This record gives sequence, C-alpha cells and structure tokens, in this order.
Amino acid sequence: MGYVAAIALLPAIAFAILVPMSNRVRNKAVPVSVAAVVISLALSLLAFAQVWPGGHGGEAVYHASVTFATLGSVDLGVGVLLDPISAVMLVVVTLVGTAVQVYSLGYMHRDARIGWYYAVLSLFTAAMLMLVLSDNFLQLYMAWEVMGLCSYLLIGFWHEQVAPRKASLKAFLTTRVGDVGFALGLAVMYKTAGSFDFQVVLHDFAWAPAAATTVSLLLLFGAMGKSAQVPLHVWLPDAMAGPTPASALIHAATMVAAGVFLVARALPIFEVSGVALTVTMIVGVTTALVGGLLAAVQHDIKKVLAYSTISQLGYMFVALGAGGLVAGMYHLVTHAFFKSLLFLGAGVIIHAAHTQDMREMGGLAKKMPVTTVTFTIGSLALAGVFPFSGFWSKDEILTILWHEGHYVVFALALAAAFVTAVYVARLWFRVFTGPTQSAELKEAHVEMLIPMGVLAAISAFIGFGSPYFAQFLGHEGEWPAAAIALTSMSVAGIGLALGWWVYGRRTKVINTRPFKQRAGFVYDALTLKLYFDLTYDYFIVRGYGRLAEMLSGFDRVVVDGIVNGAGAVWRSGTEVGSLIDTYVIDGAVNGTASLIKAAGAKVRRIETGHIQAYQGLMVAALVLLMLWFVVKGA
Amino acid sequence: MTLLQPVGLLSFMALSAVLFSLGLYGALSRKSAVMVLMSLELMANAININLVAISRFSAPAELTGQIFAVFSMVVSAAEIGLGLALVIALYRQRKTVEIDSMQELKG
Amino acid sequence: MSETVSGVVFLAFAFATIGGAVMMLATRNVVHAAFWLLEVMLATAGLYLLLSAEFLALVQVLVYAGSVAVLVLFTIMLTLRRREDAIRPYEPGWAAAILATLFGAAVLFAVERFASQLPPGTMPASVPDLALFGQTLFTAWAVPFEIASLVLLVALVGAVWWSGGDGS
Repeated sequence: MGYVAAIALLPAIAFAILVPMSNRVRNKAVPVSVAAVVISLALSLLAFAQVWPGGHGGEAVYHASVTFATLGSVDLGVGVLLDPISAVMLVVVTLVGTAVQVYSLGYMHRDARIGWYYAVLSLFTAAMLMLVLSDNFLQLYMAWEVMGLCSYLLIGFWHEQVAPRKASLKAFLTTRVGDVGFALGLAVMYKTAGSFDFQVVLHDFAWAPAAATTVSLLLLFGAMGKSAQVPLHVWLPDAMAGPTPASALIHAATMVAAGVFLVARALPIFEVSGVALTVTMIVGVTTALVGGLLAAVQHDIKKVLAYSTISQLGYMFVALGAGGLVAGMYHLVTHAFFKSLLFLGAGVIIHAAHTQDMREMGGLAKKMPVTTVTFTIGSLALAGVFPFSGFWSKDEILTILWHEGHYVVFALALAAAFVTAVYVARLWFRVFTGPTQSAELKEAHVEMLIPMGVLAAISAFIGFGSPYFAQFLGHEGEWPAAAIALTSMSVAGIGLALGWWVYGRRTKVINTRPFKQRAGFVYDALTLKLYFDLTYDYFIVRGYGRLAEMLSGFDRVVVDGIVNGAGAVWRSGTEVGSLIDTYVIDGAVNGTASLIKAAGAKVRRIETGHIQAYQGLMVAALVLLMLWFVVKGA
Repeated sequence: MTLLQPVGLLSFMALSAVLFSLGLYGALSRKSAVMVLMSLELMANAININLVAISRFSAPAELTGQIFAVFSMVVSAAEIGLGLALVIALYRQRKTVEIDSMQELKG
Repeated sequence: MSETVSGVVFLAFAFATIGGAVMMLATRNVVHAAFWLLEVMLATAGLYLLLSAEFLALVQVLVYAGSVAVLVLFTIMLTLRRREDAIRPYEPGWAAAILATLFGAAVLFAVERFASQLPPGTMPASVPDLALFGQTLFTAWAVPFEIASLVLLVALVGAVWWSGGDGS
C-alpha cells in the first residue's frame, strides 16, 4: 500500500511545479493542480475501501516511516500512518479539496493571480493530508505550521486592499498564540515521554496524571488557536476577507478542524488526565453558545457562516471532552461537507447579488433554483433536521453527553442547537424569500454547480451510515435513541419556527428592529462581538501605551509628590516651630528647611528621563556594592 | 620569554573585564541609539568570552559554559533585533535616533 | 598532556579585540564603528577557537559577524537622511569614562583578589567534541533550547510589528 504516501505528495508536487513559473504561465497551468487533487481523491477512496471491511478495530492498517534525524537515542521521522481515522479524513479532505478546486475554476477565472491561488491551495491540501497521515506529533506540528502559512497567504490573497491584509496578520498572530502552547506541549512531551511517536506516546508510555494534564492542556491550547475556540476565535470571522472557496476549504471544512483532529489523536493522554477532558468540554460548550449567539446578529452572510463554524467546532470539542471520539469525528466529517457546501453556495449568492450584506438580498429562490435547493439542504443539515447529516452527528454528541451524565452541558448544547436553528432560519428567509432587490440575478456556471450538487447529495444521505461509521472507527455502532432524537428535532423545529416568525413572515424588506427594540442591551453586546475584539484592543494592543502612561503618571504624581511634599511638610513644620522659637533658632531652622528644599529640588533632578543617567546610577551602585563585597568577602 | 608562556584563565578574565568596561563606557556616553546598541553587543561579547573561558579551564567535559554562551547569543540576537526595530520605530516617529529624544518618562 | 594557549597568539587576539573596541568608540563615523564592531566579533571568534569551542566560533561568525553587523548597517542606512549624518559630534562623556574605569578597576580588583581560587593556568586535556556538544544541547538542555527558540520567535514577531506595519 505504498501509494498512500502519494496521496499527500501529489499536491505537494503540483505546488512545486507551479511555484517557479511566471505569473502568466502559471495562470494557464491551473489544471496541474486540479489533476493532482483528483488523483489524490481517487487514491484516498481506494485506501478507504481497503480499510473499510470491519475497520480493523481502529488499528493501523499500514505504517511506514523514514528517519531524518536522530537526537541522542530518539529518532525523528516522517511517516505515513493509515488507520480508520486517517482514512476517513483523507476522503473528507480530498473530496472537499476537489470540490473547491473545481468550483474555483468558475469563481476565480477572472482573477489575475489565479495560478498563485491554485499553487497555495495545492500546498494547503498537501499539508493537510500530511497532517492527517502523520505518525508522530512533530510531523503533525510541521504540517500544522505550513497550513497556518497557507491560511495567511489565502486570507491576504487580495492584499491590494486593507481589510484582507489586516485580517491575515490578525489570523497569523492569533493562531500563533495557540501554537506557542502546542510547541511547549511538544517540548514537555519530549522531556517526559522521550518520543513524539503516536505508538509510544499514546499507547506504550505510562503517563503520570500531572504530566498528562500539562501536556494535554498545552496541546488543547494549540488546538484552540487553530480551531478558533473562545477566547482565540477572533481571527476566524475576519478571515472571511479571503476568497470564498478558500474560506470553504480552509476556514470551514478542513484546517480549522485540524485542532479537533489533534485533540482526537491525543485523546488517550487527555483521558489519563480527567481535568483536561473537563476543560475541553467547557471550552467547547462556551464556544458553541458564543459562536451561535454571535452568528444570530451578523448581517454579512459569510460572517454568519464563520460564527456558525466556530459554534460547530465548539460542538466537536464538547464531544471529545465527553470522551466521544466517534461522535466528535463524525460531526467533523458531516460538518466538513455541509459547511463547505454552504460556503460554496454563499460564494454563488455573493457573485450574483454583488453584495455580502443579507439586508440587500432577497427573493433568490425564484431566480436561482439549483443554488436554492443545494443551499437549503446545507441549511437543514446545519440546523440538525432529520434526515440530513447534521442531525445524526449532533444526535450522537447529545447521546454521549446524556449517557456520560453531563446534564448541564447537555442542556447548554441543546440551547446552542436552538440558536443554530434560529440563525439558519434567519439566513435562509432573508436570502431566499421576500422581494427581489437585484435585477440581474442569474444562476452560476456549471463547474460551480456540480461540486455543490455532489456535496449536497453527500450531506443529504451520509447520515444513514452513522452506525457503520462508529463500527469503522472500532466502536459499537447504534441507531439513535428515539427520545433524544425527538428532543433535538423538536428543539431544531422550534428554533426554525421562531426564525420564521421573526424574519420570514413579512414580505416587505426586513429590518432587525423587533429584536433590537425588545432586547437592546443584549443586541448591542452581540453586535460588538461580545466585546472580545474591543477587550483585546483595549488591554493588549493599547495596554502597553496605557501602562507606560501610568508609570509616567506615577513618576509625576508620587515621586515628585514625595520629593516636593517632603520639602513642604518640613517647611510647614519649621514654620510652626518658628512661631515658638522665633528668636532662638530661627536662622538654623530656616536654614535646614531651605537645605531640605534644595535637596528635594536636587533629588527631583535624578528623574531626568535620560536613559543613560539611570543606567549610570545603576552602574555606580553596582561598583560600590562590588567593592564592599570584595573587601568584606576576602 | 614571558610572551611564550602559556596563558591562564586570569588573562581571559582580564580581557573580558576590559572589553566589558569599554562597552559600558560606550553605552553610557553615546547619544546615538545605534551606537548604544553596538556597545551593548560589546558587553554581551565580553560575557560570552568569560563563560567559555571558565568552562574550558574548569570542567570542559560538561560544556555548561558553552551552552550558556549559546543561549546568551540567542538572547542578545533577540535584543539587537528588537532594539534596532525600536530605533527604526523611533526614527519614523521623531525623525531622529538621538537617545535623548526619548524623554517621556521625565519626572 | 594538558593543553596550553600560546601567549603570543592570545596577545594578538586580545590586541585585536580591545583595539577594535577602542577604535569603535573612538571613530566619529557610525558606519566605521559598525565595521570595527565586526572586527571585534571576528577576533572574538578567534578567541573561541583558542578555547577549543569551534562550534561557538562558527556561530559567532554567522550570527554576529554575519547577521548582526548587516542588521546594524541596514539600520544606519535607514535612519540617515544625508551622508554627512554618519559623522557624529565628538562625545567624550567624561562622567561615563570615569564610571566605566571605576567599574573595570573594581572587576579587575575582584578577579585578582580571588585569583588563588581559580583553576590552574593549564587547561584540562579532555577536548569536548562537537558531537558531544550537540548531544548535550539536545538532550539535557532540550527544554531551555525550545524556550530559546520561542524567545527568538517572539522577538521576530515583535520586531516585525514595531518596524513594519502601515506606520499606524
């Protein structure tokens, strides 16, 4: 099964071919990239078919590695590990990747740098496949960083404009904060377990709970950065400044799921440390709620989908935190399909309506039938309506929460599902119903519609395979229990109905007044993104300046105050004394007072603001200290 | 001939002390921020010489001094990078690199 | 046989370092000062070779003589408006000179005072080789090494942030 390595190598080769070309030639060489990803897809399907029968109980089917360096007794290698999880991820990544690349042929065909766009897409696909196939944490980390680079390049693809440039920098720096946690986690892992290998670290090594907690919390921090979990989620909505198909692939379907994949891979360490699991669950459920609430007030269609992605990633973290590997991975898979479908649909809508603002859309259902049908399937899957895929995976997550006894989290997850249904309804009714606001609406090119159709078909029918999916990953597979299924369905139904009641009933242009009027404070908080960006700007970006100002104020008020105040106090004291002893020691007292005053003025001059004066004083003190030390020490 | 005699640790330490003092003088007296940073590099260099020399003369097999020197180089490389970035930021704002132009914290 | 450092070679390098440092501080041209700094760094690399620290000597040449000197030269270039600005006014800094002399004297005094406790003038024979150095760095010192890499990363991001951007 040596061909497995080729799955990741082909897109990398495509990148290597495209990069050295001149812009003009590269724009014509786009088929190279598409061909590479299509062959990768074919090979992935083949690999999946070979792993399929019984899933081998979750065990690895194929493993090969090459050592590239040896540190002491530790081998560092690059390997290929094919087990059920990676087989599933291979298919997801190559399938969504192919869909996006084909779609982009239509979406980007007028762009002057389409060749470069495809080169980066290829590099991204290669890195994601490498991450999925890696057999050790170090290789995973390397691929992880390459993906961060690709994300940066694609968010800032239209770097002639200010917003994409700023957004790309913000995304890079925010995920970097998480990556520091990941890197430290790797260092601690290397120190304690002495290896990066999955087999050694996850199965052979006996973790002490404390070390396991340290490592898993650090890894979780890295995953939070990549998967945009609260409080590191602020970059993802801004990342929507990139091309829409790239958002579909990277910021919805695959790269942001890499954090979930990392936690899923490292789950055995998390399980040794119970704390880390609880933290994962708390982070996840917070994110699911915050993301959902924020999605409900956005007007930009892509931002609604971005916050929705954050919320759904939170759902996956909840599942993993409850120990539900299968549920989390299953939601990752279904989400990848329906969310990339929604993003591709949003791309078509933006192309047709020439705006991203939902308030300026409406009535698209009549003019764009194919988009409407596929987008509706994606929406229903996101809302969790039977029989579409989102229902099944959400149901598995809720089931595992119920069975493990996390009733509070269960209730919060239901609340998040409710909010999801509301904003899905809001989005759908605003875009597809109501009066038409643009005259020139027309359906997209066929190369854009075919990928959407394929993704829609998968989103519609993949749910029926859910018990087999669990079996494939080596767990007991069951059909959903009726009680929980009915609960989640009715919550989704009520949410959709509420969304219709608020946003869908009227036929004239809809504004947000009702909600705004009824809950002004909440609405303001949500439109300001729950103050996250403001807080970061206030405390971190501008905090340094504020700190410096405070210190300077301290100097002015306290230090000067003490110096001047000492003089003043002394003088007033002597004035009182001078009333009594005017004739006897008047001169002496006044002399002392003015001496102190003069001394105060002199002392005040120490605070000159000259760096070198401070430095000189420091050295002088050091010299005295050293001389004293030497004289005494001998 | 004393010149051909082997050199002991004392000579290295004296060299390092002289070099450090020269750097100190530069850091205290120069008004150009770039010159101050260069003087700081002199001081860091003197310290590294000391670390390596003491390590070589006392316990060469443990390599502690050399490894410390590597870390010290890392830190001073970071320092010079940040310092020069600061100089450029200062230049953008004030059109000068005079260190006396930074007096916001004057008492 | 224990190893020794020949007095002549040492004196040559000592002259090169201290002389270079003096010249760096004596010259009034900032660009010349940068080149004198480069000379000091190269002479220091020679001293490292005397102390059988070959790896450090190479790193010294790469990092200091290579990157730092270039960085300094670029900064000088970017912060000069006219060619004549490279020539700085004469800055004797008497107070600083006295202070630095005092400091140096104190250190020398301290070193001399404790000279009897120093190891003898001959070096131990065992010369640690590069492989051992690498092994020690990546096993016993692996975590500090990683932290050092983080320090560099943070410095990199900080430098980009300060000096780059839209000037806002």
